[in-house]
Amino acid sequence: MWHIAKRELYDNLNSLRFALATVLLLALMLTNAVVHLREHPVRMQKYRDAAMESLNTLTSRTDLYDLAQKGPEKLYKKPSPLHFSADGGDGLLPAFTHAASHFRGGDLKSFWRMTYPSATPNLKNIDPDATKIDWAFVISYVLSLIALLFTFDAISGEREHGTLRLMLANPIPRHTVLIGKFLGAFISVNIPFVIAVLMNLLVISTSSAVHLDASEWGRLGIIVGIAMLYLSLFLALGLLVSARVRQSAVSLVILLLIWVSFVVFMPNTLASIASDFSPARSYDAFQEDRRQTRRAILEVYYPQLSATDDPSKKMVISGEYVTEDATQDGRLRQEYLSERISQVSQARTITRISPVAIAQHLLEVFAGTGLARHLQFVENVQLYAREYHEFIADTERADPESPHIIGVRDGMSKKEVSPEAIPIFEDTLSLSKDFNVAAMDLLLLTLFVVVLLSGAYLAFVRVEV
Amino acid sequence: MMTLIRRELLDNLMTFRFAAAVFITLLLVVANTIVLLKDYEQRLTAYNKAVKESHQELREKKTYSGYAGALVVQRPPNPLSIFNLGLDKQVGNKIEVYHAFVPTIWDAEKHGADNPFLNLFTSIDIVLVFQGVLSLLALIFAYDALAGEHERGTLRLVLTHPIQRGYILCAKYISAMLCLLVPLLISLFLSIILLTTSATISLSTDDFLRIGGIVLTSLLYVSLFYLIGLCISAMTRRTSTALMLCMFVWGCLVLVYPNLILTAVDIVPQPETQTSVYNQIKQMWEKLDKEDKQFIRNDAVLSPPSRGGEDMAAGFGLEGVEYTFWKDEDKPSILLYFHQTGLYAGKIGAESEPQVPRVQDYYGFYNRETINTVQRTWLVRKPALEAIYVQPANLGRMLLRFSPVGLYDAATEAWAGTDLEGIQDFFSTVQRYRRAVVDYFYDKKIFESRQWFAADKGTADWDALPQFSFQRSDTGINAKRALPDMLLLLTMNVILFTVIMLIFIKSEV
Repeated sequence: MWHIAKRELYDNLNSLRFALATVLLLALMLTNAVVHLREHPVRMQKYRDAAMESLNTLTSRTDLYDLAQKGPEKLYKKPSPLHFSADGGDGLLPAFTHAASHFRGGDLKSFWRMTYPSATPNLKNIDPDATKIDWAFVISYVLSLIALLFTFDAISGEREHGTLRLMLANPIPRHTVLIGKFLGAFISVNIPFVIAVLMNLLVISTSSAVHLDASEWGRLGIIVGIAMLYLSLFLALGLLVSARVRQSAVSLVILLLIWVSFVVFMPNTLASIASDFSPARSYDAFQEDRRQTRRAILEVYYPQLSATDDPSKKMVISGEYVTEDATQDGRLRQEYLSERISQVSQARTITRISPVAIAQHLLEVFAGTGLARHLQFVENVQLYAREYHEFIADTERADPESPHIIGVRDGMSKKEVSPEAIPIFEDTLSLSKDFNVAAMDLLLLTLFVVVLLSGAYLAFVRVEV
Repeated sequence: MMTLIRRELLDNLMTFRFAAAVFITLLLVVANTIVLLKDYEQRLTAYNKAVKESHQELREKKTYSGYAGALVVQRPPNPLSIFNLGLDKQVGNKIEVYHAFVPTIWDAEKHGADNPFLNLFTSIDIVLVFQGVLSLLALIFAYDALAGEHERGTLRLVLTHPIQRGYILCAKYISAMLCLLVPLLISLFLSIILLTTSATISLSTDDFLRIGGIVLTSLLYVSLFYLIGLCISAMTRRTSTALMLCMFVWGCLVLVYPNLILTAVDIVPQPETQTSVYNQIKQMWEKLDKEDKQFIRNDAVLSPPSRGGEDMAAGFGLEGVEYTFWKDEDKPSILLYFHQTGLYAGKIGAESEPQVPRVQDYYGFYNRETINTVQRTWLVRKPALEAIYVQPANLGRMLLRFSPVGLYDAATEAWAGTDLEGIQDFFSTVQRYRRAVVDYFYDKKIFESRQWFAADKGTADWDALPQFSFQRSDTGINAKRALPDMLLLLTMNVILFTVIMLIFIKSEV
């Protein structure tokens, strides 16, 4: 087996395709590294400035009522240091959430609720459309194409030359031949790929502007692992078609057409079709729902408020009204967000027919970018919002002199709040959670590989020489 | 000659690759046309709704000054965006018409808020499918055209006949192009049938001419890739090498180069004109502000009670809200900065009735000066916008033209009218419309009329306002914009053909 693999390897190393693949991969990976070094510090600086400003505003408030009314300001998504490995369309996703309160006249102010800004694409942008050159691009498009170019003639080519008959005349079982061929191709594609990856990492890690810590190196390792799994899928596909088809030219034509439709076109077209299955509420309908809820709440509290003349009772009702208004509106916003997200997630589920979509989802998850990362960020924000509410309630309870009416200035504790006590938002990422998210995709990708490999084996066993 | 073509044609038509080519192209084009058609219909519905809403909103305004923010023009979606989406979906499609600023692409906002997360998926238009699939097919048809015959030895056989080598080459070229035309035309026909059966799209004769232009450009593009393949095939002796080279060339030209160059161009440092120009514009407005205050100070009636806020109501007995806004941070354009005072419909108290003519006078002066300031700021703002947005984008586009893909994309965009210039057409129409509105206001002396700020004696008559209408540029202009890129494609075709001819004539069989 190793003998065959070695022979394949030597064959490939001397070939034109090996040289071309190396040049192509190196050029792409180096561009990626240089662009990342230029862009990442700017991105980080922007994030730090914005997050710092929002934090300063928050901690400068010492009045509990202010804190309870205005909320935790803007919360920013931390950019991933592994942005170069998968861009994940981060530019199209919102980078922050905003604790907003509505402007109202009078002394009754509305309380904050979490708002999720819609990800408006940059309207100023008049550049032509392009896919960012990241590892995900290199892996899912270029590497898969290279894998096909290395395997399309693996069996059909030998049969054409007549060397297959020669080889099978030796006492070697067919599966050994197949595995040998697979390994040979796998190693020979991996040589330029690994070199390119190492060069890319070398450039990135020598710069002082970007710092990667241990867990990020671990993530990079996983990403390379996924790339290899994905590569095996295309190698297996190449072997399968090559075994079924008599001429290598026909084999390549079939492979390329499969590749173009599955890799380039299918994910987006399928997603666009699938996104119509469960459309989210329109923005107008959402606004209408909000108006109605607001009116309903007002109809409950307004008669109560005008019925009583007792100022303390009035205060209680106002407090309840303000809290209810913020809670209900926050709930509606969250529902609307999850509707939109579930629409996209369903569309993405259907794109999993195409292995390239699976690979891209996986790379995004482990790079900490894209939709999965955004969902994690939203989850973090919601956890933090809960923590913040609890903090307000606890501080309020801790003051025995206060009348404990949250929602009105006079009803709340007048004690000064120390800036250290205010909870601070931390946008964390956990590898185990990412694994949970990625588990299905990983299994699916493995399944694809196994099915295609066994398909290639069956096809090869039945080959007549 | 005809026999040669027939032989080649039959050779090509009977192959598996031909069947597969037709099938894949049809499948992709039809599937994507359906998706794009649906998308277009949604955008059109959103557009119609937005037009209706803004029409209504304007009519609710009782004073002329109330038109701020209410006179809004919407950009209709382009039906040819199904062929090449270009910038049609990307840039803003809702723009306010107001005398205090000149509207540009960068001040536009967006109507119709569909789920923005869906932007994660790229829209694939018909040109993109052709770009990827037809170029691949052209190479697949070409790689063995010469190298294959050379390998099999049939080339020698053919050349023993008294036929010139050029004829053989032409025959190969013509027959392959005929074959490639089949998937191109069938899929285009199918998509046009889909378009015409849709109730929402109505294509005019001009549109069919533009589609014709797109077909012609596609032909040049496919032909170029076929010639690239043929060139490789002529230079190499073995089909397998030719095939490998073809695939790498395809990968580089179609897949890698455009994305690589656009990623790389992002890090080109941008000119730092933004802040200086912004300050310049600010100064102009501050100058206006000073003149404005001067005017009020010199006026016996308007001062001592100074203009603005509650004083206004007290001084004139006007019941209304005065608002002043400076830079609006929500506006997308960073260079938009304006200062405007306005007054919403109010009743005028009897005791301040005698002062009304002076107020009218003031607004006449103030609005005239505002419009003059806008004119002055525009002289600075226009080149700055060019430098900040247009030049980097054009640099990217220029670099893209080194690949046939870029030329093809640019030419078809120009035909479809979804290129930057096509979109700019709309915004220059809006600029002209703003001018027309301002002229109308001048003509009817609306700026210094009572209806400008009060609605008690006669309200604003919006129906007499000039109406906005936008026509896409005529086909001649589309053709003119597409021509340079098409000519470049043609030149490349001719050069390659000559090169192949030279190689082929000199090659030993």
